[in-house]
Amino acid sequence: MSPKTICLTSGKGGVGKTSLTVNLACALSRQGVRVLVVDGDLGLANADVLLGLTVTHTIRHLLEDDRDPMETLIFPEPQLAVLPASSGVPDIVNLGPDDQERLSRILRTLAAGFDLTLIDTAAGIGPSVLWFGALADQLILVVNPDPTSLTDAYALIKVLAQEYQRREFHLLLNAVRSDDEAFQTFDTLAQVATRFLRVEVLYLGSVPQDPAVTRSVREQTPFVQRFPRSKAALAVAALAARLSQDRALAL
Amino acid sequence: MVFSEDAPPVCPLGTEACPVLAAYLRLQEECRRLLALSQTDGLTGLYNRGYLMDALSREMERTRRTGLATGLLMIDLDLFKEINDTFGHQVGDAALVWISRFLQQNVRQLDIPCRYGGEEFAIILPGTRLSQAVRLARRLHRALQEAKPRIQGHTLRLTASFGVDAYDLRERLTPAELLQRADAHLLEAKARGRNLVWHWQLLSDQASPEVSPEERTGLLTPKNLRKKISGSK
Ligand SMILES: Nc1ncnc2c1ncn2[C@@H]1O[C@H](COP(=O)(O)OP(=O)(O)OP(=O)(O)O)[C@@H](O)[C@H]1O
Ligand SMILES: [Mg+2]
Repeated sequence: MSPKTICLTSGKGGVGKTSLTVNLACALSRQGVRVLVVDGDLGLANADVLLGLTVTHTIRHLLEDDRDPMETLIFPEPQLAVLPASSGVPDIVNLGPDDQERLSRILRTLAAGFDLTLIDTAAGIGPSVLWFGALADQLILVVNPDPTSLTDAYALIKVLAQEYQRREFHLLLNAVRSDDEAFQTFDTLAQVATRFLRVEVLYLGSVPQDPAVTRSVREQTPFVQRFPRSKAALAVAALAARLSQDRALAL
Repeated sequence: MVFSEDAPPVCPLGTEACPVLAAYLRLQEECRRLLALSQTDGLTGLYNRGYLMDALSREMERTRRTGLATGLLMIDLDLFKEINDTFGHQVGDAALVWISRFLQQNVRQLDIPCRYGGEEFAIILPGTRLSQAVRLARRLHRALQEAKPRIQGHTLRLTASFGVDAYDLRERLTPAELLQRADAHLLEAKARGRNLVWHWQLLSDQASPEVSPEERTGLLTPKNLRKKISGSK
């Protein structure tokens, strides 16, 4: 396995990026994949919250002092590391070009120590989202069947295609009520994207709407751990199994 | 006999029921019929490809004289083979006749709809700029999407892809070149997933990161309108 970096992003906020990133990472690590989660939501970091972690050092400290990046990582499990961000810090735009360059170098170094790095991004199409989107090897768009999720995801695909020459996007449908709904949502977005943007939109999978997700957020424990038999957990585990075998996407 | 374009011919000798005049009139009628036959498509009654090229040269010549642009639409029915395969060639032919009527009824008096071949049609739009031609194409596109023709007991949903171009005095272009360009836009519409109006200005629209009205419509169109063909008894 050669190290790969995947960015999970969505355009619209609150569609489940952080939940899916964290749980996918957990599920993958349980299947023997060494995973690093980077909290790319620099302003409203919460990957650590979903994992119930106590954070002492964040990406900001990494840039401020010259500490060993490895010391900043938290390991909730032996195969799973988290690079936390700090809530309430301004966006990446406020990092000068030097710091941006340094951060990307640090991330590359860190990622080299893992099979897979998942970057959870902020909502919207702000500079940090585009910055992480441009940096990653692969892009996963988290989309739910809500029309605004569709249009926001499309707007993000458009910018990444036009400004950053990204040509391939993997769609992960979240909070769907049926496979049919997932396929239809995918079809709509894929058709318009192929037609107007000449990009390739690929179906990665879907995660059902499931109260276990919300409950696990409240309990600050990943649902793949807390409710392993829930529909959402089974879907994420299946996705993780596929990812760890699928060389095309990631590993 | 007096051979005049305007007045009906009469026998110069004033012979009642002159047999030569009768033969002449028959021949004249036959000539008209043959001319019309050579210009029209047998199945649909639209102008054929030969006439299209003549008319296009004529209209482009008019553009050079008057400065008024000539628009050109190339239209190809989407997935027409599926109709033939699903319902048989009789229904396919009837659909071609239906679409021909549809085009004739939905263009303006001076526009010249032609059958280019197979399920491909061309419409010459005299005195029409690109922006107007695009508007007309969009109108046809939408009207076609909404029409649910009943053909030999089957309700068909026919959709088409459109390539739009226009000739004006800013360029030097032969009829064949204009046709080729409009056809290239049509191919582009096909390649982008069919059921679409395409013209070169869209390429520059795509360069803006804003989501265009066309893109938004595609994303928000209810799913049941998106099936390409649905046939039912
Ligand atoms: N499959 C699902 N079923 C039920 N609820 C879900 C599902 N996925 C996400 N949610 C709920 O949606 C809310 C938002 O989830 P999450 O924080 O993961 O989204 P996000 O995309 O990271 O949001 P933000 O853009 O604010 O970072 C959470 O309360 C979560 O419980
Ligand atoms: Mg989040």
